[in-house]
Formats: sequence, structure tokens, C-alpha cells
Amino acid sequence: MASLTVDLALAGIAVGSAAALTGIGLIVTYRATGVLNLAHGAIAMVTAYLLRQLVVVWHWPTGAAAALCLLVVAPGIGVVLDLLVFRPLAARGAGTAETLVATLGVFVLLVGAAFLAWGGDARADVPSLVSARPVTLPGGLSVRLDTLVQFGAVAVVALAVAAVTRWTRIGDELRAVVDNRRLAVLRGIDADRVAAVGWAFGSFTAGLAGVLLAPYLRLDPYGLSLLVLETMAVAVGAGMRSLPAAVFTALVVGVAQSELTALHPTAAAQPLVQAVGANLFVVALLVSVFVLPRIGGVGAERAAAALTRGRRTTSPVGWAACAVVLLLPLGLRAMDLYAALQVPALAIVLLSIVVVTGYGGQISLGQAGYAGLGALFAAMLSSGTFFGLPPLDEFAALPLAVLLVAPLGLLTGWPAIRRRGLALALTTFALGVAVSRFVFAQPFFTSGLVLNRPRGLSGDRAFYVFELALLTAALLVVRNLHRGRLGRALAAMRDHEQGAAAAGVPVPRLKLFAFAVGAASAALGGALLGMAGRAFDPADFDPVRGLLWFAAVVVMGADSALGAVLAAGLLVGLDTGTHEGVSALVVGVLAVLLGRFPGGLVNTVLTRREERGAPRAGPLVAPDAVLTAEGRRVRDRVRSASGRGP
Amino acid sequence: MTAPLAARGITHRYGGFTAVDGVDLSVPAGRVTALVGHNGAGKSTLFDCLCGTVRPTSGRVFLAGRDVTRLPDHARARLGLARTFQQLAVFPGLTVEENVRVGAEQRRGLTAPGLAAGLIGLPQPGRSSARAATRAALRLLDLGASHRLRAADLPTGTLRRVELARVLASSPTVLLLDEPAAGLDQDEAEALGRVLRALAADGMALLLVEHDLDLVQRVADTVHEMAGGRLLGPGGAEEREGGGEVR
Repeated sequence: MASLTVDLALAGIAVGSAAALTGIGLIVTYRATGVLNLAHGAIAMVTAYLLRQLVVVWHWPTGAAAALCLLVVAPGIGVVLDLLVFRPLAARGAGTAETLVATLGVFVLLVGAAFLAWGGDARADVPSLVSARPVTLPGGLSVRLDTLVQFGAVAVVALAVAAVTRWTRIGDELRAVVDNRRLAVLRGIDADRVAAVGWAFGSFTAGLAGVLLAPYLRLDPYGLSLLVLETMAVAVGAGMRSLPAAVFTALVVGVAQSELTALHPTAAAQPLVQAVGANLFVVALLVSVFVLPRIGGVGAERAAAALTRGRRTTSPVGWAACAVVLLLPLGLRAMDLYAALQVPALAIVLLSIVVVTGYGGQISLGQAGYAGLGALFAAMLSSGTFFGLPPLDEFAALPLAVLLVAPLGLLTGWPAIRRRGLALALTTFALGVAVSRFVFAQPFFTSGLVLNRPRGLSGDRAFYVFELALLTAALLVVRNLHRGRLGRALAAMRDHEQGAAAAGVPVPRLKLFAFAVGAASAALGGALLGMAGRAFDPADFDPVRGLLWFAAVVVMGADSALGAVLAAGLLVGLDTGTHEGVSALVVGVLAVLLGRFPGGLVNTVLTRREERGAPRAGPLVAPDAVLTAEGRRVRDRVRSASGRGP
Repeated sequence: MTAPLAARGITHRYGGFTAVDGVDLSVPAGRVTALVGHNGAGKSTLFDCLCGTVRPTSGRVFLAGRDVTRLPDHARARLGLARTFQQLAVFPGLTVEENVRVGAEQRRGLTAPGLAAGLIGLPQPGRSSARAATRAALRLLDLGASHRLRAADLPTGTLRRVELARVLASSPTVLLLDEPAAGLDQDEAEALGRVLRALAADGMALLLVEHDLDLVQRVADTVHEMAGGRLLGPGGAEEREGGGEVR
């Protein structure tokens, strides 16, 4: 019995050490640059794929392949990201929301690239760097060599970071930058160099974690990325600050996770214990986001407002074009019409992000969870598995599912009352992942489900018209949230929360309202997605897909309903028209470039046209005062310092 | 007669530090009360306790005799307690007129039925009075010409007026101003002083936290000095005669 416990503990060290590496990397990058790199998981995934490509396909020796992947490619990705994406953002003084979207863009871009290069099929043949043969330690304990190496890797990396920060010049600079970036820059420290080192090191740990974890899993673009993202829990739990705390948490959670699999509780508790045991990092992430509401929250005032242009007018031309495009599929062949069924449904889901983030200013990365719940509830209601209710007609199941999900919007709405920016993004993401793992992946909820289209609408054409009608209704409702008293109150809350409250806007209630409406909209779209495909498929509502949706909406302009419809068309059209992954690649590239057209594509295009038409009030303060060369240097330094302070 | 705004025994501690220490303060109607003091004297914390963004450790806040200590900021605002911010609080995504309108239409609370009605696009009650209040506030602060411009494109001096117009559009009984002259030039500060005097003459109770002693001297009826979290009392008691109808 005792030996079994020790074995499991050692197996847990494998997962735990990958989590520890992730934690170390995320914290170092965050301290050095002020960016919580959500793309960490995707870098891990790409590195693992590359290792497999080199060894399995091109027959490189494992050692050389690993050296190239870990010492050149992974840190290289980090440096490239810093140079091309994050340094320009910091120089512009971009806020939390913009940086967050950039990391999401990198994430989505890498996932899309992996899809294109290696396809979506899971690979089970990622080579191990070290064999699993047992070695006997002094003292008689027998350990697998790979476990020993994993543990050793964490120890070496952690000690190296500790030594570097304590005894080297770059370490001094890092500590100065961490203490007070502005001050450090004025003292002549090259903060850009510190940031580059931070990025390179963070990406290296991501690659190492990916390469160490991949042999134990089936590798696919979503799975490993998401798993590594879940282990972000240890960095968040350590307050994005303490490396020892992160490493300790990682190892404890890892070991606990494998110990739980040895537990054999009563039959009734079995599924729950199994689900928790398999997803202990998700539990840890939930706990840490709820216990520590203040991560990155400083200075995130009007975080999401940076993603919007606050346009109050709509473009008739845009909407007319949009209507034509949406009506086109009715004339298409049956095959193409079937694919087009996803467009209106997805558009309704994306509208939920417009409501919550674009209008209400609350970053929500968990809308895929609500969409999935809508589909799941509709399926359960019509299959008669919804907690004792008899099977319902689809016409009743659809609205009832929406009504049931709407109050669940409070799950994210309630935390949003006290959280902003990054903290809210993490909380909503954690809840989305939890719903995916603890509901969508559990046979208790998903077994024996059938999901049909409503009676009389089983043909693709009829169902598409039905979807268009609902999309129109949803757009009309969403329009009410963009104008009139309600629209002004939401915009005020988005632009300046305290100011809105001072004007008498009931901010907490309005946040709950925005999240409830968003949940309902996502649920409606999700249920339609399920009905279009005649099944509840958890893969449609994967949290990673939710990140892609969020990035797509923001790219088009978070406060543009038209943009959401276009984004739906883009996502579905690109993937069915070309290869799966192209849409993610395009959205990723656009999200990374968002700094070039703040406010999103649609808003940029519309504003350009408008500005050509009529000159508007120009800025009354000269944007660039006349400065000497030295003055410009100082200004740039100060700007980059203020943009990046953690 | 009860003062429109009164604080009784306000104490606020951050950790072990006592920022405000047992302050009693009345803000009478028709007068401008000023609060001066060095940085760290506790002015801002007291201000936050009054308007509801911070809940005091102990003590009570009364608005027209009603105990509002437990009410959040937005609820106090709807009861007629308005405030401005040291750092501009305008809504850049909205036009000047819309900014002001937000203030005008919150006196009627946004309740659950109101939210539902707004969602399906029913007209909200009290629209015409909100519109009238908006127009009046825009006129008072001389913003009529720029009401269609987006707030994001305007200079600080104008935005200060936009913020003040929004606050006045809610027809408050008490107005708290946190360094309203910050970022204003001489002319703008003087114009602001005239508006404040006019509001006091109209019966409003004003409390001014300000570093610009010039402005304080020109507009304040009573000056309180704060130091170390305590109120030193109406020091020098610059009681002024009549105040004056300057406009």
C-alpha cells in the first residue's frame, strides 16, 4: 500500500514539474514585462509538435532535436514576440486589455498554425527525451529516470533563476525593473533588454514543459495548450510573485492529483471524485482566482474601453452588405448551405461578447461555456434527462434553455463586480474551463442525449431561415443596449466605472444585467449550433475555441454588432472554404496587429470613411511637442516604462 | 434645520494608519465650504467617505438628515449627492450631450423592470425632463456649441466643464468637488469660481477640496483646515458677506 502511494506521488511529480516550470516562466515574464502570457500553453504545444516533427518525421537524433527546440526555437519565439508584438505595445503605453488581446492573438495564431501544419488529429508518438527505466537511488528507493529528470529540470531552472536574480547584473536590473520600472528606466537600465530576456526565458520554460508533458498525452493543438494554461493556476496562486510558492503549489497539486486517482469512494461519489482528480489544476485555478481578486487589477480602470471606439452610429451600407451575404446561402447547394447553418448561430454567440465586453466593458473569456450550456440544456430538456422533467418539444426546450442559462450569467457577473481587467479575464476563463471539464466532459450530463431541430424546421433551408429570424431578433435586442438610456448607462460604466457610479448608474446591478443578457445570447446561439449539427458536441464549445471567438470579436471591433456578424462569417467561411485552422491564423494575426488599428477593423474602416467625408474636431493639444533628441529619448523611455510596469 | 450633508465622528483606518480621525463636518445649504490641508492630511479619504466610495471604519454620514452610511456611491448620487473627480471622469465614448444626459437620467433608478423594458426597447419614463435638464446644464456651462462632439476629442478645460455639467444635470442638493481647478488655466478657474458662487446662491450646498488657495479665497464661505486626519475647525473663519450674485 505504501509503495503504491509513493509511485503515484512520483507520477504526480511529472505533471507537477511541468506545472512548476510553467509557473516559473509565467512569473518571470510577468515580473519582467508586466504581461501575463496567455500564449504560454500554445508555445508549449508548438515546441512539442516541432520536436515530434524533427524526431519522428525527419529522423533527427533526439538530443539534437531537443537542443534545437529548447535552446533555439522556444526562446526565439519569445524574442520574436517581444520585438514584433509586445515592445511596440509597451512603447505606445497600451493597457491591460490590449496586451491581453495580443497574447490571445499569439495563442490563437499558434493554434491555427499548428492545425495547418500538423492537422487536428491527436498524435500519440511524441518522443520522450529520457527513457522510463527505473534507477535506484542511494537509500534504496527505485525511481523512474524520466521522473528524476523532470524533477531535476524544475530544481535546476528554479535554482538558476534564484542565482541569476541574486548575483548577476541582469538580475539586479530585473529586480530594479520589478520594483519600479519607471525609476529603473530613468536610472539608465535598459528595460527593453530585461523584457527580451524575460520573454526568451518564459518561452524556454514553456517549451520545456511542453516537451516534458507531451509523451504522456495524445498531442493535439487544443489539448496540450489548454492543459498548460490550466497549470497557470500555480502562478496565479503564487500572486504572480513568489517562485517557491509556485513550485510548491505545482508539486502539491500534481501529487494530489495522482493520489486522488487511487481513491475508490462509494459509487455515488465516484464520478465527482474522478472529475476533480483529473482536473485538480482547474480546481486550483478557480480557487486562486477567487481568493486573489487583485492580480493585475491595478491601473486596469476602463480596461476594455481601449478595445472599443464608442461609435454611436451604425452604417446602413455595412448592414445592407451583411444582409445580402447572410441571404446568399439560401441559393447555395445543399452541402454549402449545411456549413452556412453555423453562421447565424455563431453570430448570436459572438453578440454576447459584444454585449458584455464591447458595451459593458467587462472582459469575458468564458462565453463558450454559456454557449455550451445552452446547447446542453436544450438537448437535456428535449431528451427528458433534465433533472426529472419530461421530454419537451424543441420549440419549448429552446427558450427554456435560454431562460435557464441567463441567471447562470451571475456566475461571472458576480465576480465582475469587484474585479477588473486581467483578474476578471482569468476568472471568466477559469469558470469557462471548469464548466467544460466538470459538465461537458461528464457522462452524467451528456449520456443519452439527442438534439433535434424543431418540428417542421428539419430541412436545412427552413432551419436557416429560422436562424436568420432569431439573429434579427437578437440584433434588435442588442441595439437597445447600444442606445437610449440603457446604452448610455452601459457606455458610461465601460468608459469610467467610478464616474458612472458617481452619476448614479447602479454599476453592480448593471454588470449582472450585462452578464445575464450575454449568457442568454450565448445560450441561444449555442443551442442553435447544436440543433444545426443535430447533436451536442462538447468540442464545439472548447474553452480554447472560446478564446478564438473573443479574439475574433475584438478584432472586428468589440462594440460593433455588425463586426460580430462578420466575424461569424469569417470564422465559418474561412475554415469550411479552405482548411481548418486558417480562420484561427487570420484572427490571430489580426489580433496581434490590433495595436495598428485600435478599436477594431470595422470601426477603423468606418471611421476612415467618415473622416474623409467631414473633418471633425481635431485635437486641440499638439500631440508631439518640439523636443530635442535627448528629450525624445527621455519621453520614449518614460512612455515605455509607464506602459509596462507590473 | 438639518444640514444637507453632515458627517458625525468619521474615522477611517487603513491597516494600522488612521487617515481620518473622528471628523464632524456640516455642509450647509447656500454656502461654499472649503477643505484645505497638506497632502496626506486625510482630505481625500474624508471625501471618499462622504460620497460613498469608501465606507468609514466608524462614524455616520447623513444626507438631509437621512443616515446614508451604508449606501453605496451610486445610491447616494441618486439621493442628490453629486461629486466630481480630481482626475477627470468623463465618458470618452459618448458625445458631450450624452455625457451630460447620463447624469440627468439617473435620478430615476435603473430597476429590474426598467432594465427589462430597456432591453426590449420600450421608451423609458422621464425622458422629457431628462432632456430639459441636459439642455439647461449644457447652457449653464456654455457647452451648447460642442454638444455633438465626442468627449474623447476635447481638451481638459472643456472636459472639466462637461463633468460639472453632468453632475449639475442630476440637480443635486449637495455637490462635492475634488480639486476642480486642477488643469485649468487662469480664465477657466475664474469662470469656474463664478459658476460655483452662482450655484451656492441658488441654494446648493458645496464642499470644495482644493489646493488652489486663490480659488478657495474667492469662492469659499467657510474654510476648514485638515491635518493629521483631524479637522482644525473653521480656521480664520472667512465668513463672507452675501457671497454675491456674480453671473
